[in-house]
Amino acid sequence: MIYEEPRLRPGGDRCFEVYFGDEMSFDLNFLVHSVCGLVRNARIKGIIELIPEMASMQVSYDPDLISLQDGMREVLSLFRSIESMEALELDSRMFYVPILYFDPWTRACVDDYRAKIADKEWDGDLLVRLNDLTGLDQLRRVHAASDYWVAALGFWPGLCSLMPLDPRSRLVAPKYNPPRTWTPKGTIGHGGAITCIYPDQTPGGYQIFARTPMPIWDREQRLAAFKDSLALFRPGDRVRFQPIDREEYDYVDAKVRDRSFKHNVVEYQRFSIRNYHRWLKTIDESERF
Amino acid sequence: MAEDNRRERTVLGGGAMLEVIKPGLETSVQDFPGRLGFWEQGFPPSGPFDMWSHRLANVAVGNREEAATLECQFIGPTLRFRHDAVAAVTGADMAPTLDGRPFPMWEGVAVKDGQVLALGAARTGARAYIAVAGGIDTPPVLGSRSTFHMAGVGGMGGYALRAGQVVPVASVAASPGRHIAEKNRPPIGNQREWTIEAVRGPNDDWIDAAGHEVFLSSRWKLQAKSNRTGFRLDGPPWTFTELATRKRPEHGHDPSNILDHGYPMGAVNLCGQTPIILVVDGPSTGGFINPYTVPSASFWKLAQSRPGDIYRFVEVSVEGAQKMRRHIDRQCMEV
Repeated sequence: MIYEEPRLRPGGDRCFEVYFGDEMSFDLNFLVHSVCGLVRNARIKGIIELIPEMASMQVSYDPDLISLQDGMREVLSLFRSIESMEALELDSRMFYVPILYFDPWTRACVDDYRAKIADKEWDGDLLVRLNDLTGLDQLRRVHAASDYWVAALGFWPGLCSLMPLDPRSRLVAPKYNPPRTWTPKGTIGHGGAITCIYPDQTPGGYQIFARTPMPIWDREQRLAAFKDSLALFRPGDRVRFQPIDREEYDYVDAKVRDRSFKHNVVEYQRFSIRNYHRWLKTIDESERF
Repeated sequence: MAEDNRRERTVLGGGAMLEVIKPGLETSVQDFPGRLGFWEQGFPPSGPFDMWSHRLANVAVGNREEAATLECQFIGPTLRFRHDAVAAVTGADMAPTLDGRPFPMWEGVAVKDGQVLALGAARTGARAYIAVAGGIDTPPVLGSRSTFHMAGVGGMGGYALRAGQVVPVASVAASPGRHIAEKNRPPIGNQREWTIEAVRGPNDDWIDAAGHEVFLSSRWKLQAKSNRTGFRLDGPPWTFTELATRKRPEHGHDPSNILDHGYPMGAVNLCGQTPIILVVDGPSTGGFINPYTVPSASFWKLAQSRPGDIYRFVEVSVEGAQKMRRHIDRQCMEV
């Protein structure tokens, strides 16, 4: 559910949490980002950082500049200023992400896990089976058909939680137990109802079945897209996967290496939740691609 | 081209710097308050763990409290100065020496070009801070010099110091002799038992009355598997309210699971039945509840404790925690 009024809870002497509801849904996450945008634009003295998450937002503040009560009051009054959920709109960048499905590197990573840690069904087959798909071709079609919403970032710098905007692309998968000790940089994984891109070689728990040569994390800030940060995405961005073959993968990879690669991002779009809801009504959610 | 030449001359001409002879166990560059503004992308603030000792080290050498220092963990480094400087060592007592002679702590001391400052194993506490007048001058990353080891960001190439490295210092004229009175310092002694303040929330309502009673009355032992990311504790089991046991499936199976949310610094993060206090390099978000949060004014105690030490938690209000914070601020300004 989405709460009538958000629940505010202190987190020590410098933070508070704002819980807007207790479900995983796009509408609730859109509300989180909308309030986050309002708080940011209000430039409240003493509010330092915001972390929007699935159903909540963390606010950190400087207690020398603003009290907990005043900080909470400001956030609540901005929330109350929202007259209609349907009227909410947010600027949303769209990133085009080249993706090689069923690539050799994630396959080798899974093989390594099976040999050293625990035997398991190969991730692609598992996703096909659990989601009643006809095979890997359909998994690729279904996964690449939707635009994805960057619902949140965190745990590791740049690690993104991507929610499919098209309900026909919804997939479910359990997480690895025990988790993997390593995952190739740029791996695409799926756990619960969320897709992610691994920014770097890190441990992980999502089912893995594809890889992008496009960096979403650059410690050296070599490419132009990393001018302002080491991590590419911001919450409220969107991602569209573009399936490529191995030849194209190697071409993009070479361009990344010689630093001539340019991220393909569209910055002129605004996401309207009313238009999104209207579109949802036109589709048959039970249809797969 | 001209600019390149100039830069090279500065280096060849012997700009202010420290040569790392021995790196110590884990010595890292940290500035205060750390890397702010990128938490929403997953970058924690980082910064000095014992902020109090860091700030006083800077005060002793005449720096602004924000300036980067070297944080030394358990065993300190051996450094050769490559310029005349004023330096100070605060925090844990690692028996510092200068060219073999005892180097007084909590005081700005004149050091000559070529002299060697050596820190050993901590005799009290766990973390020492070395400040040099002008401040450690590694290139800032996302606005901060703080080292975030896990992702290899900031400081000396992203990680702890290594032997043979040369640490740049912003050279300034400074005078020695500034002393930090004992009453202004964090009281670091030989204690193995600590009283740690904790503020209720954000998820205290997921723990039942018996669970709160157990948390506040038990002895919690600090595990060896603890670092700047998190401090793991051993202790009795937790008990929960219905919020934890009767919830929507997207929260996860375990009572301690919650839909991913932000993690405040100092959160007592309940991972199954293991509480982990998330500290300066802690993850920004995750799917476990945080029934309590250790306030910033108590961080020095965490930073100065060692594996095997015992924590007893005492509840403090948000206002009480902020009063403690202002008290430390005054100690850093009074000098």
